Amino acid sequence: MRNLLWKEWHEQSWKLGFACIVLGALALIGMRSRILADQTMAMWVCCLGIMLLPLLSSTGLVPAERSEGTLESLLVLPVSARKILVAKTVMGIALCVLPMIVAALASVLVTGNREYPASAMLGMYGRFTVASLYLFIWMLALTIHLPSETRAGALAMGMVIFWGLATAGFAEPSTPRSLAAISPLAPVYVYGSAFERCPPLVVMVLVPAVIAVILWNWACKRLTNLEGRP
Amino acid sequence: MSEQPVIEMRGVAKSFGKNHVLRGVDLSVPAGQTFAFLGRNGAGKTTTIRMLLGLLKPDAGQVRVLGLDPRFQQLEIRRRVGYVAEDQVMFGWMRVKELLAFIAPFYPTWDAAWAAELVNRFELPLATRVKHLSKGQGVRVALLLALAHRPELVILDDPTLGLDPIMRKEFLRDLVSYLQGEKVSVFFSSHLLYEVEPVADSVVILDHGRIIRQAETEDLRANVKRILAPADAEEILRGLPGLLDITRAGRQVTAVVETIAAARTVLAAANVTYQEIDLNLDEIFEAYVIGRKETSNAQPPLERVA
Repeated sequence: MRNLLWKEWHEQSWKLGFACIVLGALALIGMRSRILADQTMAMWVCCLGIMLLPLLSSTGLVPAERSEGTLESLLVLPVSARKILVAKTVMGIALCVLPMIVAALASVLVTGNREYPASAMLGMYGRFTVASLYLFIWMLALTIHLPSETRAGALAMGMVIFWGLATAGFAEPSTPRSLAAISPLAPVYVYGSAFERCPPLVVMVLVPAVIAVILWNWACKRLTNLEGRP
Repeated sequence: MSEQPVIEMRGVAKSFGKNHVLRGVDLSVPAGQTFAFLGRNGAGKTTTIRMLLGLLKPDAGQVRVLGLDPRFQQLEIRRRVGYVAEDQVMFGWMRVKELLAFIAPFYPTWDAAWAAELVNRFELPLATRVKHLSKGQGVRVALLLALAHRPELVILDDPTLGLDPIMRKEFLRDLVSYLQGEKVSVFFSSHLLYEVEPVADSVVILDHGRIIRQAETEDLRANVKRILAPADAEEILRGLPGLLDITRAGRQVTAVVETIAAARTVLAAANVTYQEIDLNLDEIFEAYVIGRKETSNAQPPLERVA
């Protein structure tokens, strides 16, 4: 497992650095310049993070290896697909979490409690981070069989847009509450006025988590799938 | 030599949608042999190998590798088997020494001293990144990775694809030098017959997902012969048992048969004057894969310009 993690780290570390710099710099510059209210600025940074990070991590972990042809070299090794996917998932989680931590720390360090309480700001970053992790698992599972990073990216982008639009409907009375229970973006809505219309908190967090676990296991089975390649 | 075959397939079938890649393949590879698995591109060689390694599941039939079932024991099989893939792509950013350090922990039987010896023998630059290696060096790295854990069986899937003829010879020289020292079984898939001929003990020919011949190389050479006879003996030659190919060129007719002994009896009874010509593996393969099809379709008799 150590050597699998080492490999993933070497392949993905530049993305991690890139994402940390982009989100950290955006939070730092945005908060210092005060072009928007602190809460709004934090929301923009979080939205960028949730769009960028799961997409960047999921498409680079498996579809990129499929398109380069290195995945088969990995799959013929005497190591289970589960371990390969665990290493990739750990790296994906790092890619989703660490840039958000950097952005959250930059935001809190610059703003303190001047407009928006630091605890509330950290809570917002936390909710978006959990949602981006769920979204990452969705993207990982649904793009794992694709033989090209571009196609995986397009599908992942479609997923962000679909769930973004579908879940944003929580604020609208006409949107069914059941959608909140299965959406990977549900944790984002566990606050504010939309929260009043959502299912109970435990459902909002647990159901997407259970779905993520089921999707991960499905992804594990699909990782080794070379069907259709005679 | 162990009595148990290293590879055994019984009635194996595999389809991808409507594309029937393997249609009831029966195959038995004895231990300690270098076994050539021949077929044209798209014949089903790579699909067969992926099944042996547990990367694909058969739709029907049974597969055993070293007595293990690849559907359930693929990790144990991969620990005991060395594999060089067709046009294998390594992790280009790794240096050769990093690649060795990455791969070694997966194999409990990895022999570091033997790996170091192979590095020297193959003249591999340890500090060079894999993406900067030449094609020939890349194949040698793949071979090193397949051999360094001292496998009981080595599976080579068209390993020299894309190499120039000199590199192919060098690769085979390395392979043969290794085989001379070890009693390892080799399953060598290729569509380049001349490259496997010097090393193969047995040959199996796969065509359109079916095994059309399995035999020891020497038996094949001894039994499959070309017969050269006058054109007026064409009808007799067309009736020969085990006829694989027949062509007429001017006043002569040429036939390839798979059992020369039976043909000799028929020709002697018909009092035909003929000449026997030995064939190399390339010509035998061609007779089985191309000639057989043409003789079965040849209505009326086909005339080919020699």
